[in-house]
Amino acid sequence: MRLEKCWFCSSTVYPGHGIQFVRNDAKIFRFCRSKCHKNFKMKRNPRKVKWTKAYRRLHGKDMTQDSTFEFERKRNRPERYDRNLTENTLAAIKKIDKVRVDRESRHHAKRMKPKKAQLQREAARELEQSISMVKAPGALQRDPSLTLPIKVKVSKPEKVDNRMEE
Amino acid sequence: MGGKCPHRSVKKRRYSHKSFRRSKFLVKGDDAVYDELQKGEEERKPLPVDEDLPGMGQYYCFHCDRYFANVSIRDEHFKTKRHRKRVKIMMGPAPHTQLDADLAAGMGKPDNGPKLMSM
Repeated sequence: MRLEKCWFCSSTVYPGHGIQFVRNDAKIFRFCRSKCHKNFKMKRNPRKVKWTKAYRRLHGKDMTQDSTFEFERKRNRPERYDRNLTENTLAAIKKIDKVRVDRESRHHAKRMKPKKAQLQREAARELEQSISMVKAPGALQRDPSLTLPIKVKVSKPEKVDNRMEE
Repeated sequence: MGGKCPHRSVKKRRYSHKSFRRSKFLVKGDDAVYDELQKGEEERKPLPVDEDLPGMGQYYCFHCDRYFANVSIRDEHFKTKRHRKRVKIMMGPAPHTQLDADLAAGMGKPDNGPKLMSM
């Protein structure tokens, strides 16, 4: 079972899923879903569409260089069947996958690090520039013109008493 | 490769959707055109004579994959905005391929094993 990658978004295409287009020069284009197929038909460039892996790689959103990327590859070479080798490979897949996920999360955390400081800086600047918008609650009580004219219904205590008597 | 946009001042000239659809799959893909352009002047074969094509298939624009009736029309085409846009695209980075998609998905380069025979 060979798991192919989508031409447009680079996601994995499992057997029985997606659609493939064979151009008249025998080039094969595989698509994971109709969304990718339609985008291909519209002649969009995956490098310019923000949700594709190609875009994210190119713009440093995802991890690009890592030793874990060296394991999964198309191997066009025959390998003699060896039960032990198969078992070791299957065991290694889980380990390598875990390492990769951890590294990716670390990369994401590192990428998002300056975001918090930026938000704080923006908030501090906003507070500094528009402090006049903020009034202390004591000032509102002293000057009722500052509050919005909202009418609040006051419930009558008499009715409650009648019900209790009944 | 969009349809031809009619000029506003001419009332009866309509946008032809049908011809656009017909020609959509006749045009070569970006990557095929790019590969052809990368070959260089010497490697290219001389254009085959085809009586069905305009100008016996001798006046061809590699960038736009179009045939023209004679040299002057082709040179006129070289001056158009559409052609110059196309040239700009083709001068840029190589078009997206399946290999790029695989690499972006976190796969390594294909492993073809050691070369067994030297040609």
